[in-house]
Amino acid sequence: MEQKWSYLVDEYRAMLYRIAFSNLKNRADAEDAVQEAFLRYIKDEKPIQNKEHEKAWLIRTTIHICLDILKSGWYRRTVPWNESFESAAKNIYLPCQVRDDQTLDAVLQLQTHYRNPIYLFYYEDYSIREIAEILNEKEGTIKTRLRRGREEVKKILTERRP
Amino acid sequence: MGIQEVQGNSKAQAYQKKKKAGQAEGFQESFLQNLKNRDQAKKAVADTQTGLRQNMADAQTGLRQNMADAQTGLKQNMADAQTETKQKAENVGVGRIGMTTGIRVNAAATQEALQAVEVRHMSYEESDLVKIAVTEGYTLKGKREDGADVRVYVEAKYDDGRQEAYQVEIDRVPENTEHMIEQFALETMKEG
Repeated sequence: MEQKWSYLVDEYRAMLYRIAFSNLKNRADAEDAVQEAFLRYIKDEKPIQNKEHEKAWLIRTTIHICLDILKSGWYRRTVPWNESFESAAKNIYLPCQVRDDQTLDAVLQLQTHYRNPIYLFYYEDYSIREIAEILNEKEGTIKTRLRRGREEVKKILTERRP
Repeated sequence: MGIQEVQGNSKAQAYQKKKKAGQAEGFQESFLQNLKNRDQAKKAVADTQTGLRQNMADAQTGLRQNMADAQTGLKQNMADAQTETKQKAENVGVGRIGMTTGIRVNAAATQEALQAVEVRHMSYEESDLVKIAVTEGYTLKGKREDGADVRVYVEAKYDDGRQEAYQVEIDRVPENTEHMIEQFALETMKEG
């Protein structure tokens, strides 16, 4: 049993941390969110059908935990002292070599309903179908959010240019 | 006076008779005239209707002809535009399909260096090189083929849901290529 949990943590910890960080932009909070997601998975008695379902469940739960943290009164009244928002992209270790911190920062600035589909599509390499399943939305909705989110990213990058 | 009156009455009756006869004649004449007028009017209405029908038929034929001409013209223009776009895309190696302004590679499949292959769903970790173009709406993943020094597998994913994969023969790619997939394959070759 313990082996199963350690396999889960090894397999998904890094990815879940990146997703949590993209939402919270704070290392400590992201780690807390990931731990909470694993705890909920262990406590949850519903059988998980397969690996894909398991992954989708963990991502969905992590995102929900992040949104709960963001909504909490404590979070809204405090500012992390050690991490500025400008450097948020530097704290994400993506699974690919080529990176563009400016664009990633712009993505992290997006509203939640644009940020999560865009982050999952481009930086975690999920397909539209998978994202729709993870976020419990229709594929058409995800396509629309990807398109509109892309326009928002362009706008942010244009505004930043001197 | 009384006799005169009687004579007067008979004159009056005669006059009335004459008047009635005259009226009858007048009525008959006017009736005949009316009949003639009505026939003429009917004929005129029939002529007008025939004319109108003819005009409408002519107008419809003209419209049909105009529409057919317009359609033919449009088809010709579209065909010309498509041929021109395809030609440009082939020249540059970059197509533009759909609503998004991403770089599209359908036209590239016809080029010799590129061969469309089945998508393998390669992960970022497996790839030798990854390009994430958020503002353009696509990602590219490239990997040198095992056992082949001159071939690169490239996978493209677009934000409209399409996924495409190509095998690129590096030897056939011109050094100064402007084609997105070919350029990326060259970069992958250097990285790999």
